[in-house]
Amino acid sequence: MDFSLNEEQLMLKDSVAKYLLANYSPEQRSANIMQSGGVSHWTHFAELGWLTVPFTEEVGGFGGSIVDTCVLMEEFGKVLVVEPYWPSIVLAGQLIARSSNTALCERILPQLMAGELQASFAWLEGQGTFCLSHVSATAKLDGDDYILNGQKQLVLNAAADIILLPARTRGEVNSEQGISLFKIDAQDPAIEREEVVLMDGQRAVNIRFTNLRVPAENMLTAEGDAYPLIADVVGEALIALCAEAVGAMEYLYKATADYANTRKQFGTAIGKFQALQHRMVDMFMATELCRSLLIRAQCSVLDGSSERQKDIAALKSMVGKYGRQVAEEAVQLHGGMGVSNEMPIGHYLKRLMMIDSYFGNALHQRREYCELSYA
Amino acid sequence: MHAKFSADELAFQSEVRSFMRDNYSADLAARIHHPDTFRDASVEWQKCLDNKGWAAHGWPVEHGGQPWSATQKYIYSTELAAAGAPDVVPMGIKMVAPVLYSYGSEEQKARFLPATKASDIWWCQGYSEPGAGSDLAALQTKAVRDGDDYLVTGTKIWTTYAQYADWIFCLVRTSNEGKPQQGISFLLIDMKSPGVTVSPIISIDDEHHLNEVSFDNVRVPMANRIGEENQGWTYAKALLTYERTALSGVPYCKRTLANIREMAAQSQNQSSPLLSSPDFQARLADVEMDVMALEFLELRVLSAIDSGGAPGMESSLLKLKGTEMQQAVQSLQWDVVASFGGVLPAEHGAQALWQSTANMARRSYMFGRASTIYGGSNEVQRNIIAKFALGL
Repeated sequence: MDFSLNEEQLMLKDSVAKYLLANYSPEQRSANIMQSGGVSHWTHFAELGWLTVPFTEEVGGFGGSIVDTCVLMEEFGKVLVVEPYWPSIVLAGQLIARSSNTALCERILPQLMAGELQASFAWLEGQGTFCLSHVSATAKLDGDDYILNGQKQLVLNAAADIILLPARTRGEVNSEQGISLFKIDAQDPAIEREEVVLMDGQRAVNIRFTNLRVPAENMLTAEGDAYPLIADVVGEALIALCAEAVGAMEYLYKATADYANTRKQFGTAIGKFQALQHRMVDMFMATELCRSLLIRAQCSVLDGSSERQKDIAALKSMVGKYGRQVAEEAVQLHGGMGVSNEMPIGHYLKRLMMIDSYFGNALHQRREYCELSYA
Repeated sequence: MHAKFSADELAFQSEVRSFMRDNYSADLAARIHHPDTFRDASVEWQKCLDNKGWAAHGWPVEHGGQPWSATQKYIYSTELAAAGAPDVVPMGIKMVAPVLYSYGSEEQKARFLPATKASDIWWCQGYSEPGAGSDLAALQTKAVRDGDDYLVTGTKIWTTYAQYADWIFCLVRTSNEGKPQQGISFLLIDMKSPGVTVSPIISIDDEHHLNEVSFDNVRVPMANRIGEENQGWTYAKALLTYERTALSGVPYCKRTLANIREMAAQSQNQSSPLLSSPDFQARLADVEMDVMALEFLELRVLSAIDSGGAPGMESSLLKLKGTEMQQAVQSLQWDVVASFGGVLPAEHGAQALWQSTANMARRSYMFGRASTIYGGSNEVQRNIIAKFALGL
């Protein structure tokens, strides 16, 4: 048993924290969102080597484990980094890196790690209840190409140059069998694009593709076999996303305590009131519980535990539930300032709400946990 | 970062597991669960653990403790609970002993530590008073010097198992000067001393665990004072953090949850087991996930202590969440046994009824209400965390 970060991870944590402290104040963040895409930060991220962290040394990466990725993501969460690290590097990047298509790896990964190319993963269709194997977009072989038809919603990172797109080569709409994963050019003329801005500063794109022609060499796995790859990468990506949430929660309980110590009412700092103190303690407790499940899930991945899926579902469910609770409490305890868009607090609430919604919210993940536990 | 056990740790796990299987017999369990036989059976069990060298495993090695890592302590307590075996009654080995070996004189250590370890002394704790609960420093039991002795007068309350105790460790007031915390001393008092009276308090589990202990000019040799006069608060505070670290109850929660699952898989609720009800599953999952988190919170604290940190504010976090989870688990267990839990066993009735799951569910739910009150109420824990973790 060992829950400590190693030397390299401590250095990484320290350098990320330092860079963000100097370059990522709330004002800088807002300016960054306005200028769309945040290109300059992305170049720095690349120069600092952060874009290589989750990739193996064989493909030219840093060779980090899930722990290294979480170190980065947790620091990102503290200042609400809007750059598309999660969709581009953690989701799409790992889908490519762990796929069986080595030619594609060799072509794409160096550009991705250098920050010259951005990617995304289009996992969501129009379904009401989330289901990872829900894929109704179709792909039909035609000579050396596949012809893709369908639509995908809220594809994160509207600036992505390439999109990884699951489409069904056979099987029923919710079947885990028959899903194939294609690399497509985000600007292909066969794609109709509708860009949307999300409340947490992210930009996404809804796409509809009609007779989109994709060469077979751009398929990531053998035909119809993409589901295990997707489930594996998404599982770890959810841990990384929860690390971001824990970083955001830590910011919130600390900022709230700081505020309560300075804000005066009835002639005293409101932090002296026991009713408020106890609520802040519960925010702190919720954060530490989430951090504990975060560590549990990381160990589960590193140890190859058979409980991995259950640990991830528990983590995502708890982060969804407590993340929202902590942010709502932070807004309440900040009073009028909490509902002002100029203050950072509300932006953390928005981000935590969006994090909860990705790949199934707290309720969905709890059901997942129940099915894995009580079936 | 990893949470795997090494080959040595796995070997230790199987050693503990087989020891529990071979030594915690069904007969012993039955006697421990019955109030008539609880005291003697507990002593028998603790002596059995002590013969193996495990009863006082947390003590320094020179006093008979074990050089266990955090992982080994975790394995030990998990296996103990998994076998359904109780941990040692804490007042002696876990509560007074750390004060004795940290602050006691050589003579006091020699006199009390071996007998405490061997469970030859049954201890009880004299802290709370009718007028000093959460505000412990308001205690009024006074000790006045008389030659080489103190004369102690006052009342202690909520004293667990005072009816069985040979000795009580007490906080008493030796001075009224300065802050209330400054005039308190730590005394060991022989329960057979003239002037000590024990009166039972029946708790809402309909049983006799608690007592009121009154002292009427009880003569206590100065040699029974731990450390300096008026410094007792400092010693007691150190002790409280140990008490709280011992209060998270994760192994108990895990075992009880396993029991709840088993029962819910069998129970017939409108022709299908309770465990297949989505509502019940959701409630069970909420509790299980919090316990999973609490387990790792505790492991994080244990590893931190292993690498040289002392239990401090984190012990308050564990006490707070641990007792909340114990109550959540007890509440769920009650829901599974439902009205069958309401049956009160006859006072000296058959062992089987005392030991039934329904009866255990009732007893632990009812007495479990005390867990968020003792050891510093959870409201006080929140005050401590607010001050030391959040700087409020």
